[in-house]
Amino acid sequence: MAQAVKTKTSSRGKVSPARSEDQFAAVRTLFENRRAGYSLDAPFYTDPEVFAADMKGIFGQHWLFAASLAEIPEPGDYVTIDYGPYSLIILRTDEGVNALHNVCRHRGARVLTEPAGTTGNLVCGYHSWTYDAEGSLIHASSPGEINFDKACFSLKRAHSRVVAGLVFVCLAAEPPADFDEVSKIFEPYVAPHEIANAKVAFQQELIEEGNWKLVMENNRECYHCDGHPELACSLFPTWGLTEELVPPHLEDAWQRNVTAETALQERCNRYGLPYEVVEELDTRIAGIRISREPLDGAGESFSATGRRLSKKLLGDLRDFRLGRCSMHLQPNCWFHLLSDHVITFAAFPINEHQTLVRTTWLVADDAVEGVDYDLESLTYTWKQTNVQDKNFVEMCQQGAASPAYEPGPYMKSEYQVEAFINWYTQRMQEHLG
Amino acid sequence: MTVSTTLTAIPDVQRIRGLEMPWNRVFQSTPEPAGAARALWPWYPQEFLAECVETVPEAGDMLTIVLRRIDGAPLAFRSGQYLNIAFPVDGPDAEPVNRSYSISSAPTQPWTFAITVKREEGGRVSQWVHENVRPGMVLDMLGPVGAFHLPDMDRRARYLFLAAGAGVTPLMSMIRTIHSLPGRADVVMLYHGAEPGAFAFSRELEHLASVDSRIKVYYSLGDRSVTGTWQGMVGRLTAQMIDEVVPDANGRQVYACGPEGYLDVATDFLSKVGVDDTSIHMESFSGSRATRLEYRDEVAFAGEIAEEIAAAQDEAHEPEPVTAALDLYQIAAGTEAKADDGTAEHYETGDVLAAEPTASAETPAEPSSFETVGQGSLNMSFLRSGLNVRIDPGEEILAAAKQAGIRIGANCQEGMCGSCKIVKLSGDVDMHHQGGIRAREIEAGKFLPCCSTAQTDLVLDA
Repeated sequence: MAQAVKTKTSSRGKVSPARSEDQFAAVRTLFENRRAGYSLDAPFYTDPEVFAADMKGIFGQHWLFAASLAEIPEPGDYVTIDYGPYSLIILRTDEGVNALHNVCRHRGARVLTEPAGTTGNLVCGYHSWTYDAEGSLIHASSPGEINFDKACFSLKRAHSRVVAGLVFVCLAAEPPADFDEVSKIFEPYVAPHEIANAKVAFQQELIEEGNWKLVMENNRECYHCDGHPELACSLFPTWGLTEELVPPHLEDAWQRNVTAETALQERCNRYGLPYEVVEELDTRIAGIRISREPLDGAGESFSATGRRLSKKLLGDLRDFRLGRCSMHLQPNCWFHLLSDHVITFAAFPINEHQTLVRTTWLVADDAVEGVDYDLESLTYTWKQTNVQDKNFVEMCQQGAASPAYEPGPYMKSEYQVEAFINWYTQRMQEHLG
Repeated sequence: MTVSTTLTAIPDVQRIRGLEMPWNRVFQSTPEPAGAARALWPWYPQEFLAECVETVPEAGDMLTIVLRRIDGAPLAFRSGQYLNIAFPVDGPDAEPVNRSYSISSAPTQPWTFAITVKREEGGRVSQWVHENVRPGMVLDMLGPVGAFHLPDMDRRARYLFLAAGAGVTPLMSMIRTIHSLPGRADVVMLYHGAEPGAFAFSRELEHLASVDSRIKVYYSLGDRSVTGTWQGMVGRLTAQMIDEVVPDANGRQVYACGPEGYLDVATDFLSKVGVDDTSIHMESFSGSRATRLEYRDEVAFAGEIAEEIAAAQDEAHEPEPVTAALDLYQIAAGTEAKADDGTAEHYETGDVLAAEPTASAETPAEPSSFETVGQGSLNMSFLRSGLNVRIDPGEEILAAAKQAGIRIGANCQEGMCGSCKIVKLSGDVDMHHQGGIRAREIEAGKFLPCCSTAQTDLVLDA
């Protein structure tokens, strides 16, 4: 198998259909040798073969977050997204959302080349093969062409589901069934924020020089949160601790957290909002963690004082002091839902050492920039935090590429990282058989 | 005959989302002010005459005066706005006294409208209103104006109304408006009064709260020492009281009206329960700076609209449909006629307002013989004081006059109250008033020295 060498060339599209049995066995052995509680061996982060296997076993098999309805508010609106070698069109239709493979059935060209836009039919720019919103080929004229059965050349479809305004897709022929159960878990948490009635205030794309798993791992712990001074204003400094672990200098903060949590739970009970932690990160196929937790300060939003960043409440929410509802779904997304805005995060793997991280800030659709919110203030905390996280991920990627790297132990506060890796390992082993 | 009724469970009312004022779509579809004004004329601040048709004594020594325009047109206003009314307190021949009163009725019933006046101890105007305003009396109005009003459209429509004493008036308009409209809303009113019998509109408020699930009303007595039976709350406004009555105050728009001291503590307590100051709307009639600026903006806007309408009418050569309809009213009313040029209006009813006194003829002496004080390139001759005061262009007339010892009454000093009004016999001034003077008064040579600068030499009756 390939050596763990970081290259600058893209390996997109290099999922070799004719991988040798040796290579396959080598990847399988890597999983079998994985030491629980420790970070992964270098090839998981650096090897194109492992990346190719990830694309098939994880991104080709599971429900993935694609976009929110706020990004495609009207019929005809679309976004194009890539998961490694896969490219999809996420199209809003009169009925709902269609996910279509962005591969022309003529000679394979990308049908839509813009990252987002609005379209009636889908017209390939190469020879103008034209598809309708359902992907059916409706026009492919050529002189002298006879007996050409257009019905055989529809765009390939992926499964798509919209839950509480979030669009998920699955590239597998037979999607895993437990997403239904997980949808029922998170829908009551997410739906009150009415993402379908939100608008995109800002979208940021960062290409992180790191394997997609490092992006997800970094997001699953706050052990490194000293490196996030802006975010630290909103998170209690006792985040992740239990009562026995609180050091004397944090006792006041702990008490503040307890008081805030009690008040938040009272409010949630009053408004019928769920807040309990549901944590099934590696005990099911559609791994999830969701909860609603208080924020420090005024407890309203990700600002230095904790005060609101948009003056318009989302949906029919009644109170600005709703802390943050945070959700993490395996394998590629996490979310923070606040009373005044929602932030969606999606990781789109590019190759074994690059990942596109798309962060989208959503506010109520009647919130007016400059009046109800200031874009700089709204996006400040997470813009800073994302850049800091990008650096952390890249530090790890560089380390994984070093011959001196060897896996190290996850600490107690990093149990969610272990859960993610455990989920990944299980899913891949099942896939590799 | 016996009528029996059975109590059955009433299913929930199905409502559209949020509140939308009936005029909102017309307003939104015509972005230019003139278009909006034509669609909903008369909309913006303007002068008109209204006749009292009903007076209703209210609890708390308040009197509701129901009015209708004498031209028969409906009055368009926003719920919470107020009118500036000229009361002929000193008789028909004397200068009327201007006072602002919130409209207590709902704009959704625009054919009549009402103000509610509390009799103030030692209040010259309010006493006079209680004793003299009767059905049939015609009063001169300016307005409606004011920034303290419900939004035209609100998807959330979750409100906390804080009322103290007579401050209930604009909030009453808001509650009546919400009750009269479909749409999801959630209104909590916390109403403070001094004694059990002092809550104006309480019967109606209780009725509205009992038939409209969107409305809740809480009463509290500010004075704890009151004896007798009282079922409401007791105690002045506190943060704890707000939190108990509306635990979700943080997510509401707050409209508060009452005495200045009450509003000051309300601001403090609201911030304690987490209400963002941009969600707080207040009305005190203390003439706060913000209110005055708002008033000035609206008056300026009104001028702009008047110009645009005039221009549009010049272009069209044909009466606009709305104007035509109003002409019908005017013919029917027979009390006012629109000037042919479509710009100025002349009221024929002289029973309330004195004919404007013409510029004073009593000229005591030749200004050239007056003593001259001050510095400046222009001269102001004060005939009654017998003094010439030098002034520079751009310098405020009232300040210069006062410095020279001229006696001119002045209250707000921002062109709003009209108390410094004097007559100008010659010369030009640049005036930036905020509604404290009427167009006819200006035509008659009056001006407000507090917000005027001299442009030429002036001869003044003061």
